[in-house]
Amino acid sequence: MKTVLVIGGGVTGLKAASELAGMGYNVSLVEKEDYLGGQVVKHKYYKLAPDLRPAGDVIDPVIKAVESNSNIKVHKHSRVVAVSGNAPEFKAKIKNSKGESEETFGAIVVATGFEHFDPIVKQEYGYGRFKDVVTNSEVEEMLNPNGPTKGELKRPSDGKVPKKIAIFQCVGSRDKQVGNPYCCRVGCVVSTKQAIEIKEKCPDSEVYVYYMDMRMFGRGWEELYGKAMEDYEVIFTRGRGAEVTLKNQQLSLRAEETVMNRPIQHSVDMIILAAGIAAGDGTIDAAKVLGIKQNDYGFLAPKDDFLSPNESSKAGIYIAGADKGPLDIENCIVEGAAVAAKVASNLKN
Amino acid sequence: MAENTDKMVIDGVELTGIWKEFLPSRILYEDVTTEFLDEVKKLPGGATIAKCYQCGTCTGGCTLPDFVDKFNPRRFIDLVRRGHYDILVNENKDLVWKCVSCQRCTHRCPRGVNTQEVVRAIAKFLEDRKVFGKLTNDEAFDEVFMGEVIEDGRIDEVKIVKDFYSKTGRLKDMMRADQLSLGFKMLTSGRIKLFGGKIKDWKKVSQRLKEELQ
Ligand SMILES: Cc1cc2nc3c(=O)[nH]c(=O)nc-3n(C[C@H](O)[C@H](O)[C@H](O)COP(=O)(O)OP(=O)(O)OC[C@H]3O[C@@H](n4cnc5c(N)ncnc54)[C@H](O)[C@@H]3O)c2cc1C
Ligand code: SF4
Ligand code: SF4
Ligand code: SF4
Repeated sequence: MKTVLVIGGGVTGLKAASELAGMGYNVSLVEKEDYLGGQVVKHKYYKLAPDLRPAGDVIDPVIKAVESNSNIKVHKHSRVVAVSGNAPEFKAKIKNSKGESEETFGAIVVATGFEHFDPIVKQEYGYGRFKDVVTNSEVEEMLNPNGPTKGELKRPSDGKVPKKIAIFQCVGSRDKQVGNPYCCRVGCVVSTKQAIEIKEKCPDSEVYVYYMDMRMFGRGWEELYGKAMEDYEVIFTRGRGAEVTLKNQQLSLRAEETVMNRPIQHSVDMIILAAGIAAGDGTIDAAKVLGIKQNDYGFLAPKDDFLSPNESSKAGIYIAGADKGPLDIENCIVEGAAVAAKVASNLKN
Repeated sequence: MAENTDKMVIDGVELTGIWKEFLPSRILYEDVTTEFLDEVKKLPGGATIAKCYQCGTCTGGCTLPDFVDKFNPRRFIDLVRRGHYDILVNENKDLVWKCVSCQRCTHRCPRGVNTQEVVRAIAKFLEDRKVFGKLTNDEAFDEVFMGEVIEDGRIDEVKIVKDFYSKTGRLKDMMRADQLSLGFKMLTSGRIKLFGGKIKDWKKVSQRLKEELQ
C-alpha cells in the first residue's frame, strides 16, 4: 500500500490524515509548528460559532484521531523542502531541526491553511498605533480562560474592562486597496459570536458592529445574528469603519450611518478589527516547492472548481481546506474527508 | 362580501379613499433610470462611479461634513445611480461642488472608485444641465481667478472669495457666521492675509497680457 504525504496539521490536514489511515493507507503528516490544530489552537479559539460550543470539543477528537493512529507518522516542526518525481511516485525531502530525510509517496495532500490579515496596513484604523485597537484573533485569545487575560476582555492599554466596544467588519477583505477583493466568509459570524460572548461576560457593556453586509450564510449563522440583536441588544450599524483617532485620550471612530445618510463620530473604549483571511506564507511556500498553481490572491487553485475541487494543477497533488480560500471549520472537515476519498480512489486505479 | 377591489367599505363608509386623501404617498419612484449614471460615466473622471458598493467609507472620513452639513459623496453617487435627479438638484446642487479635493475618499475607497473625481464629474454633470443659473460656479470662479491674475499678477485670497460670492449672487452666504468664523480662524493662523502684496511694475505686464488676450 502506498504512503500519502499530508502537509499541514490544521483541522483539514488532520481530518484527511485520519480518514486515509482509516482506509488503510500509511500517512506522513508534516506540520511546521510544534503543535497540531492549526489556527484554532494557535489563537486559542475558545468557543466556536454558531453554537458557542467549546472549540476543544471539536479540535481535540480530531487531533486525538491522528495521534492515536499507528498508521500516521507525525513530523512536527518540519517542512517539505523539495519534491521530485511524478504521480504515483513522489520523492519528498522533509527537513527539521535535526536534519533531512527523504521518503517516497504515492500522493500528496496540501492543507496548509491561511494566515490572518495584518491590519497594520490599514493605517487609518490605527492598529499598532493605538493599543486598544485589537484584532478578532487577539480577542479569541482573551476570551479563553487559558489565554493571556484568563478569559477576561481587558483593554491592553490599562487592563480595564472596556464598556463600549466597536467591531469593524471586513478589515483587509472586500478591499481593493490592500489587494484582497474577496470576502473572508467567517468575519461576520465570528464578530457576532464575539459580541454575544462579550455581552454574556459584561451585560452592561455596549457592543457596536460596523458592517456593510452581514453575510450569514452558514448553518445557524442567521439565527445567531437574530439572537445578537434580540437577546443581547448588539447594535449593528450599516457603514464601513472609516477611521480611528484619539480624542481626549479616548478612541474615536468615524463611519457613515448610511441608513441615515450621515457621518457619525463615536467614542469607544476598544475597537476590534474583524481581520480577514489571507493566503499564508506556509501555503505560498508549499505552492512553490510543489510547483502547483495559485489564484490571484495566493490561494491554491483547483484543477476545476466545479469538477475537481480537490485536485491541484498537478496530477497526484491534492488540495483542501482554507489554503484554497476562506472557509469555516465545519466545511474544512468536509474538505478533509473529501480529499481523502479522492486520493484513495485515484491510488486504487 | 369581499370583492376584489381596492375599496374597503365598512358600515357603508368607504375607507381607503379617505386614507388616501389623508396620507400623501411616500413612494419615491416606480422606475430606476440609469440614464444619468451613463452620462456621468462618460464625463472626465466619472468612469469609476459604477464600482461603488455604498459602504460609506468616503463619507465617514470626508473632510467636509464637519463644515458643510449634508455633504455626502456616497449619497451623491447613489442618487445619480438610481436616477433621483430631482433630489440631486433640489437638495444637493449647492453641496456637490464644495469638495475640496483632499483625496481622502479616493485613497481609502475599498472598491477602487476615484471618489473625488466622481464627485467632480457629478458637479460637472449638474453644471452641464445649467442647474446653477446663468454662470456656473466653475465658470464664475475661473473668470474671477483669471481676472485677478491679469490685473494684479497674483491672487488675493480675501478679494477672490468676495468677488466669487458676489459674482454668483451669494454675498449673503459669505457673511454667514460659519463662513466668517472660518475666515477669522484662517486669518489668525496665518493661512490667509487681509491684503495681498503688490507685484512691482505689474501694470506693464498686465497691459501686454490684455492686448495679447484681446
Ligand atoms: C478569528 C477567527 C475565528 C474563527 N472562528 C471560527 C469559528 O468559530 N467557527 C468556524 O467554523 N470557523 C472559524 N474560523 C475559521 C477557522 O479558523 C478555519 O476554518 C480553520 O482554521 C481552517 O483550517 P485549515 O486546517 O484549513 O487551516 P489552518 O488552521 O490554517 O491549518 C493549517 C496548518 O498548516 C500548517 N502549515 C502551513 N504551511 C505549512 C507548510 N508549508 N509546511 C508545513 N505545515 C504548514 C500551519 O502551521 C497550520 O498548522 C475562524 C477564523 C478566524 C480568523
Ligand atoms: S464575512 Fe463579513 S466581515 Fe468577512 S469580508 Fe465577508 S462581509 Fe466582511
Ligand atoms: S468609499 Fe468607495 S465604495 Fe464606499 S461609498 Fe464611497 S465611493 Fe462607494
Ligand atoms: S476629496 Fe472631496 S469628497 Fe473626497 S474626502 Fe475630500 S472633500 Fe470629501
